Amino acid sequence: MPIVFAGAASHAPGMTAWTEAAPKEQADNFLGNYRKLGAMLAAAHPDVIVAFSVEHWANFFLNQMPSFCIGRAEYYEGPIEEWLRIPKARVPGDAKLGVELIDACLDVGFDPSFSDELLLDHATFLPLHFLNPDMAIPVVPVILNTLTPPMPTTKRCFALGKFLGSVLEQNARRVAIIATGGLSHWPGEAKHGKINIPFDKKFLDTLVNGDRTKLTEYSHEEINVEAGSGGHEIRTWIALAGAVQNWKAELLAYEPVVPWATGCGLVAFSK
Amino acid sequence: MSLYQLQKLLYHVNRDLSQRERYRQDPAAFVKNYDLSDDETKAALAVDVRALYALGVHSLLLRPFTLLHKVSNEDYAKALKGLE
Repeated sequence: MPIVFAGAASHAPGMTAWTEAAPKEQADNFLGNYRKLGAMLAAAHPDVIVAFSVEHWANFFLNQMPSFCIGRAEYYEGPIEEWLRIPKARVPGDAKLGVELIDACLDVGFDPSFSDELLLDHATFLPLHFLNPDMAIPVVPVILNTLTPPMPTTKRCFALGKFLGSVLEQNARRVAIIATGGLSHWPGEAKHGKINIPFDKKFLDTLVNGDRTKLTEYSHEEINVEAGSGGHEIRTWIALAGAVQNWKAELLAYEPVVPWATGCGLVAFSK
Repeated sequence: MSLYQLQKLLYHVNRDLSQRERYRQDPAAFVKNYDLSDDETKAALAVDVRALYALGVHSLLLRPFTLLHKVSNEDYAKALKGLE
């Protein structure tokens, strides 16, 4: 079976850690649609979730920072943040699929690093909390460096996603792909709390209604200035756009939630 | 300028429980394990949010580090005021 589900979602820690700080209408709309995306994933009965995700100094530091890292562990633990109000859990991995993806990448000239132990922070665990609430479906994390420059270009992220999509489409198992991060936010910075609504809306409009290859025109500098240091995480969405380039997309929710300091988006894709 | 070393110090305190414990026991001794300038040593020992930020510490190393020192959101934002 090929790819049976694709969805993209923001992962601001405030969504669970300080839910009540957000205006109730915004929180209800966004989190209600997060659960709806989870129901859509469940209805697709995936055997495995491939997560295009990021991390925030959970595993990697400046002594070794891979542009792309694919997990091939038997399981993953998280979240590392005690304050996230998400119970600590162990989610199964799919080492076999991880290895298959790594091998396939190496064959065509992508050279991801690999890892047999990735601790998951809110970037992956918060989406899993909504999309894989029993933590029962095995996960293969594909971690993109969106944390510190130099980062892989949007073009390269799109190309990697497109390639992984083509490989997964041929897989015998039912595969869900999720992308997590963004949209505009400046976490922990002097501009913390700023949200660039026009940037977010234009990005979402191109993703949902436009020519997705245009997403590869975002430069590092443009994202940095317009969407902030946290905005670099849209690279995961761009990778997903490559993976399901011809699928339809539906914007489930966009909420610029100031107390969560993030432009929060949710998009579901369908064949 | 030894920003890498300064960030390594914060990374270790944030992410490694045994190193965090050693740091808590004796911060002045702990920071000597890193090749820091005088300004960096001073900023680290004082948990001077503004100085650490201005020295270039990544915000996602700095905020967790300051959370360990119970720096509230309000105080954190106040410390960075004007640096936008």
